[in-house]
Amino acid sequence: MSPDYGVFKTFAEANQWLAIWPELAYGTLALLLLMLEVLFPRYKNTLIPRVALTGQAILLVVLAATIRRVASPDAFGELLQFSVTGNIMRVFFAACGLAVCYIGGVYLKRERLPRVEFFHMVMVISAGMMLLVQSTHFIMLFVALETVTISLYLLVSYCRTSVASLEAGFKYLIQGGLSSAILLFGMVLIYGSAGNPLLPGTAGDPLAYSDIRVFFELNAHNYVAVIGALMVVSGVCFKIAAVPFHVWVGDIYQGAPTPVTAFLAVASKASGFIVLLGLVLGPFLPLAYIFKPLLAALAVITILFGNIAGVGQQNVKRIMGMSGIAHAGYLLIGVVAAFSVEMAVSAILFYLFVYMLASFGVFSVMAHVSREDDSIMLLEDYGDLLKDNPFLGSVLVVGLGSLAGIPPLAGFMGKLILFIAAFQAQLYVLLGVAIVGVVISISYYFGWIKAAVFRNPEVEPVHSTLYIPSRTMRVFMGVLTLLTISVGLYQGILSFVF
Amino acid sequence: MAPQQTLLIILLAPLAAASLIALVGRRKGLLSAGISVGSAAVQMLLTLSLLYGSWKGEPITASVEWLHIGALNVNLGFYLTPLAGMLLFVVTFVGFCIHLFAIGYSDDDEARGRFFGGLSIFMFSMTGIVLSSSLFMIFIFWELVGFSSYMLIGHYLARPSAAAAAKKAFIVNRVGDFGFLIGIIWCFWHYGTTDLATLESIMHANPVLLTTGTATAIALCLFCGVLGKSAQMPLHVWLPDAMEGPTPVSALIHAATMVAAGVYLLGRIWFVYSPSALQVVAVVGTVTAAYAAFCAFGVKDIKKILAYSTLSQLGYLVAAFALGTLYAMQHGDHGLTGVGTAHFHLTTHAFFKALMFLGAGSVIHACHHEQDIFKMGGLLKRMPITAVTFLVGVIAISGIPPFSGFYSKDAILFLAQEENKVIFYILAGTAFLTALYMGRLFFIAFLGSPRSEHVEHAKESSFVMWLPLVVLAILSVVGGFEGIYPEAIKSFLSENVLHPHGAAHQQMLILSLCLGLGGLLLSMLLYFKPASRGNDFLESNLPIVFNILKGRLYFDEFYNFYVAKIQQRFACVVSFLEQVFIQRLMVKGSGSLTGVVGTVIRGVHTGNVRSYAFWFLFGLVLFWVFAIIGF
Repeated sequence: MSPDYGVFKTFAEANQWLAIWPELAYGTLALLLLMLEVLFPRYKNTLIPRVALTGQAILLVVLAATIRRVASPDAFGELLQFSVTGNIMRVFFAACGLAVCYIGGVYLKRERLPRVEFFHMVMVISAGMMLLVQSTHFIMLFVALETVTISLYLLVSYCRTSVASLEAGFKYLIQGGLSSAILLFGMVLIYGSAGNPLLPGTAGDPLAYSDIRVFFELNAHNYVAVIGALMVVSGVCFKIAAVPFHVWVGDIYQGAPTPVTAFLAVASKASGFIVLLGLVLGPFLPLAYIFKPLLAALAVITILFGNIAGVGQQNVKRIMGMSGIAHAGYLLIGVVAAFSVEMAVSAILFYLFVYMLASFGVFSVMAHVSREDDSIMLLEDYGDLLKDNPFLGSVLVVGLGSLAGIPPLAGFMGKLILFIAAFQAQLYVLLGVAIVGVVISISYYFGWIKAAVFRNPEVEPVHSTLYIPSRTMRVFMGVLTLLTISVGLYQGILSFVF
Repeated sequence: MAPQQTLLIILLAPLAAASLIALVGRRKGLLSAGISVGSAAVQMLLTLSLLYGSWKGEPITASVEWLHIGALNVNLGFYLTPLAGMLLFVVTFVGFCIHLFAIGYSDDDEARGRFFGGLSIFMFSMTGIVLSSSLFMIFIFWELVGFSSYMLIGHYLARPSAAAAAKKAFIVNRVGDFGFLIGIIWCFWHYGTTDLATLESIMHANPVLLTTGTATAIALCLFCGVLGKSAQMPLHVWLPDAMEGPTPVSALIHAATMVAAGVYLLGRIWFVYSPSALQVVAVVGTVTAAYAAFCAFGVKDIKKILAYSTLSQLGYLVAAFALGTLYAMQHGDHGLTGVGTAHFHLTTHAFFKALMFLGAGSVIHACHHEQDIFKMGGLLKRMPITAVTFLVGVIAISGIPPFSGFYSKDAILFLAQEENKVIFYILAGTAFLTALYMGRLFFIAFLGSPRSEHVEHAKESSFVMWLPLVVLAILSVVGGFEGIYPEAIKSFLSENVLHPHGAAHQQMLILSLCLGLGGLLLSMLLYFKPASRGNDFLESNLPIVFNILKGRLYFDEFYNFYVAKIQQRFACVVSFLEQVFIQRLMVKGSGSLTGVVGTVIRGVHTGNVRSYAFWFLFGLVLFWVFAIIGF
């Protein structure tokens, strides 16, 4: 009996594989790297990293060029839903992956660590995040999330010679596992309730967003299902490091290799936010009566906690961690605003992009100003940086200025637009808190800038820690910095966000 | 090339030059001079090609959206009208002449790169003001010219007086700009836009708008910007001090272009001015014109005399604008009469004042930075080209036909005569004084015999320095004929400058001749006495008057008194309160509070994974509690 190829044909056509070509391309490129390493081991430090960077750069350009082209809205039986937002986030993750590989290049070279696997995993994570933010089904969400998280466990403990890195990886594994478990448990509770034929609006597929939404519209006060939704959201809050699900940030940011910290701080957080938006505005929208005040309260404590904990930190990786918590708080305001103001989603996307530009600028400088032990990066190492290496110094100052929201840098515009959205949503109390938070944040951002511009006369700066950036690194950092400045002056550069 | 692209290149060429100089030319003086002059040449050539080319004066607009938040929509763009074209012509043409001159002038300057970089930044900012399509964008460039002016006044870093003058110019301008900014915001608030073209159509569609007090208040707030930038009373104090900068800078920024920006601003927004606002503007301009003309007798520094003359002429321009617009309102035609008349004089003034400043620069350069006219003398023989061209400038500013100053000043006096007799007498008297102090300057500095060592050995300046003088001198002679201007400007001028006709024309001609020639003749009698060496007539015969004029009517003393005795004391009180309440209680207090909280919070991060897991569960419980409250 000859096999029925028609089945495969229908399968292939029904599932629109072409619609996920970016993810497939990333996966293929990732596998290609491993294959190349096996075939040409001699080139593993020369050619193969270049293939990785070039391939990602090409993908980034193609993704950016086709940003308005949306495949038919859903595919794979409602597992995924394609939208312009999804495309924007694809560009975002592609840019993140590229930046992490660039910064990783500096770090891996110094620590004499293998590069190919690192690039491989970064690409897998990029693809995973792209799927994650486009998923509209809990199964897809969970699978994509685990793809990302498991690869991140590996990346966090990538520096096998460093105790800090291993410890951080272990801690991340435990806490990430816990959060995944709770997330999954929440899904199960929802699955059970929504699939209960005794309740009105029983879902045909109790894991699909659309069905869950219909269910919640009729059962907005179902105790078990609501607890399930809360658990799912708390699992997502772990990703975005909202207080009180933030405790992992300090140790893991500090212990992880600097490029991985950047990845966690930017891409992982951004994916969490898009998932959160998708959930609270999608299946959980009927629960807005809980989530709106809940997220508002979360935003308040997250902003205050992140900023206050940032003051007095000496380790710059922890500063980035704490400030990242604060930024998550500002973004949470955007999520709350998104319940009533449409432009808030654009504001969040814009904020994520400017946050990415500034953060990678700062992290790339951190990768160059580093001691032997990557986990100890102190403010005092930055003494006289602006004088010793004006290029690194100015990249750092622009990046930090943008994070602090100093006009005319991009960060200022990001905050402004986000706050305007919040203003339109009449979230005056949250705005007040956010402004207090921004004022506090000036203290540690400027403390860092001060450390880089002046020198603490009592401490001799450790000049051996300064690595001179290569020419490609200079171009990369220069592009980030110029974008940060020019987006601040003219937001049309990021017009695709709106 | 589309006109929009041409304009973009005209705007960006000097910026590119400045960036290039900042990157490569900081230590290579000649190279940076070449880059800067090259960019000025590009600007001038493109402007000329635009004006003499296809453009016939129809408004050209181009804009990009810069910021769009809700109702607030800020565009950046160009708005080229005949008026803007005319100023573009003045700025780029005179700018190029001065750049050329500056090559020669700065040959002994060690920081030549910085100097030319500053000039290019200035050209960028000034072109920006000229082309801007909205008040908002004008403000950006307004501040940029302020910055470049600050930078160039303080060019001689080693001189404390230059630093003080730069600071003074900047601060005084800030005072004006504060009002200007309030005006812009208020304008946006009240009329809903800051876009010039839209604003004009709104104002024309609803003439009632102008009758309100708010309209007057907005117009006067916007006028504050003019007070600062065009150095009108009472914010005029910075301009004489600004002469600390290199002379080409004084010629370009503090005589021909930047200080005229205020008048140009008035021309761009003339339609927001209500009659009562115009009365105020007219009085301010007239008082400034007369005051500065008197002050010019109290100084001996060649550049300061020219500075007071600039102040006085700026007063003329501002008054001309107000009088002409009032005239147009009463006669119902020629809406732009005031604008046209003021800008006609602005243009001719740019020519002859730039000419005289460059002449002064040529003299100063030749006399090893000697600036006191009573130490000069006999320069006519030693520097004939400079002296003759300077004389052309003197005759032009005195308003003697057929030199350019006559035509433009004549139009202003005619307007004043029609509008307000008191102002007319004051302005006519000022014209007489102008001829008198200009004659004083010329006779003492250029005739007679040398009165110091350096002047004895002065030689004519080099080619690059006297060529611009000759070009500007020719323009100072013929600048009054509308025929020399490109089509668009010509029709603008012939439509909007009101020249007297018939009997009135003869009357004005005679009056001008009497005032101008009379002033020059009197100065000849008073100052051209080869016997009296190094003595000022006023100083030796009427010392009291001289000292009062020298003291500039004590404006600076008053401001210093105000700042030192009133503002400073108030600041001390505020500072004390700040120290106690804000610094100690709030900043230090909240800082230490934050620090304590931070320490506590950092304590949470024990590094213990088990406690972290508890945190997570704690969060979950919080969520649960929240949900229960929600039920």
